[in-house]
Amino acid sequence: MTETTTTEPWLDSNQKPYIQIENVTKKFGDFTAIDNLSLDIYKNEFFSLLGPSGCGKTTLLRMLAGFERFTEGRVLVDGEDISEIPPHLRPINMMFQSYALFPHMTVEKNIAFGLKQDKLPAKAITQRVEEMLELVELTDFAKRKPSQLSGGQSQRVALARCLAKQPKLLLLDEPLGSLDKRLREQTQFELMDIQEKLEVTFVIVTHDQEEAMTVSSRIGVMDSGKLIQVATPTQIYEAPINREVADFIGDVNIFKGVYKGQDEKGTQLLSEDSKSIIYATQKADVPVGNKIWFALRPEKLEITKKLPEVDCNILKGKIEDIGYGGSFSTYHVKLENGRQLTAIRANHERTAEHYLTWGDEVYLHWVPHSAVVLLS
Amino acid sequence: MTKFSKFNVFALVIGFTFLYLPIILLILFSFNESRLVTVWGGFSTKWYVELMHNQGIKDAAWVTIRVAFISSTVATLLGTIAGLVMTRFGNFRGRTLFSGMIYAPMVMPEVILGLSTLLMFVTLAIDRGMLTVTIAHITFSMCYVSVIIQSRMSSYDDSINEAALDLGCTPFRTFLLITFPIILPAIVSGWLLSFTMSLDDLVIASFTSGPGSTTLPMKIYSMVRLGVTPEINAVSTILVGLVTVGVITASLIGKRQKQQLAQS
Repeated sequence: MTETTTTEPWLDSNQKPYIQIENVTKKFGDFTAIDNLSLDIYKNEFFSLLGPSGCGKTTLLRMLAGFERFTEGRVLVDGEDISEIPPHLRPINMMFQSYALFPHMTVEKNIAFGLKQDKLPAKAITQRVEEMLELVELTDFAKRKPSQLSGGQSQRVALARCLAKQPKLLLLDEPLGSLDKRLREQTQFELMDIQEKLEVTFVIVTHDQEEAMTVSSRIGVMDSGKLIQVATPTQIYEAPINREVADFIGDVNIFKGVYKGQDEKGTQLLSEDSKSIIYATQKADVPVGNKIWFALRPEKLEITKKLPEVDCNILKGKIEDIGYGGSFSTYHVKLENGRQLTAIRANHERTAEHYLTWGDEVYLHWVPHSAVVLLS
Repeated sequence: MTKFSKFNVFALVIGFTFLYLPIILLILFSFNESRLVTVWGGFSTKWYVELMHNQGIKDAAWVTIRVAFISSTVATLLGTIAGLVMTRFGNFRGRTLFSGMIYAPMVMPEVILGLSTLLMFVTLAIDRGMLTVTIAHITFSMCYVSVIIQSRMSSYDDSINEAALDLGCTPFRTFLLITFPIILPAIVSGWLLSFTMSLDDLVIASFTSGPGSTTLPMKIYSMVRLGVTPEINAVSTILVGLVTVGVITASLIGKRQKQQLAQS
């Protein structure tokens, strides 16, 4: 497990965090935008702040850039307290949601702007601008004005302009928000490549959970000015800490019920969705009789016409709806008590659509290991 | 193509005739050979030549141009600052009062504006002359500049300034290198508008000017009282030409800016 130390520094207590956000609170009048938030981000991380709009993620980003002063707390970058440093002196650059390109300057001048402020010699500036144009593949567009660029090109100019200054930390506010889906997916990979190549620490704000999952080393899920969970994309998806996170990231089927104790098959849950006890391998750390929840991702639910040959976790239902997605199909299955569950099945065979169809009586089952036990 | 009904064409002709016939007649008769204003005696530019020898009109024109230049420049400076304050400094204390005070000269009858300015100068015992006309012109044209700047700033993306700060530019240099060049067209059209307004103002000037600071519109007005001469037509034609050029330039700048904004 030697690799763990390099790719997952947050697990290694010897690693020093690069950015330390310590007990930061931000109030706008009576409204608390950020509520006593602490977070450590490590060097070369690609960290995503994810949350619904109004959760405070953009405010947090703007505080790192220096555009908002916080009411309490402090922020350290590389051990240095930057709380009192005005934005133009911070070793941090930000890419704005609107890209904020200077409309009266060419692409070239836009990228050179930050370098000129540092009073670099003209030759060094020209060279750096060329490097940056090459990096974002816009060499042919150097003399264009921002109004003559497409959305994707503007996005790359904005990125090049931030990166030209070799910041210690790059902040990205919804960087791909205004691109169409195809371009967005392509740009996600470009961003990851650039981040790896230049070894810059990225903090990105997004409301798009798929985007966060694809690009991030870790995700911080925010709501109402608080971080609910900070973990790797896999952990966030496969082991959410509560129903809120489970529901916000991807689709999920949740079974509500009463904790009935532990046996050799796992944690027992008595739910009104099932006549018999259902099981999850994960342990529940609460007294018997408490309310707990099982969360189950749709792709973990197996859907069959035949009664599966297992001894637990079988539910009977009827197919209500089928969403054909090409590589997979989404099935909405209505249980006998009226509850609707979602199951996803990969379309292994070309005739899959004939196998299961509307109104079919089907069985849903899962292995106890697939379910997540949630206590809140 | 939209087809116009007979009524539409009729209304259009009547409307435009009513608006522009007097001006066209004035321009035409400024090239009249005859001394009689209403009788055409052949084409001539002699009244323009005569104008060049009329010291009174030349003095008045010189006064007008100096007043217009100084007042529009100062008004542009103050109006720009006021416009920026109104849009960039959020909801400061007394904002409503301040904005009301900026807009007041726009809706105030000119006579009252002139009279009150006159009263102020009398109270402060300031001798009426070039200075007082200039100050009065600054007060009423400043509000137009600030309106133009405000409307420009309302479509200004604040994150552009933040981006400049973020890239290491100080707040002052950000204004100089980013905000100012971007809003420059609006400032120029504000200046042109105040220049033309100062150029053709009669009411306020006649309240606030003193001996030796007669402006061109005042001069024309006083000459007309002794009878309309082709000379007046000639000087009016020049004035109309200047104002037209100013207003058209200002609106062209505004239009181009809107197109640029629409593109980006």
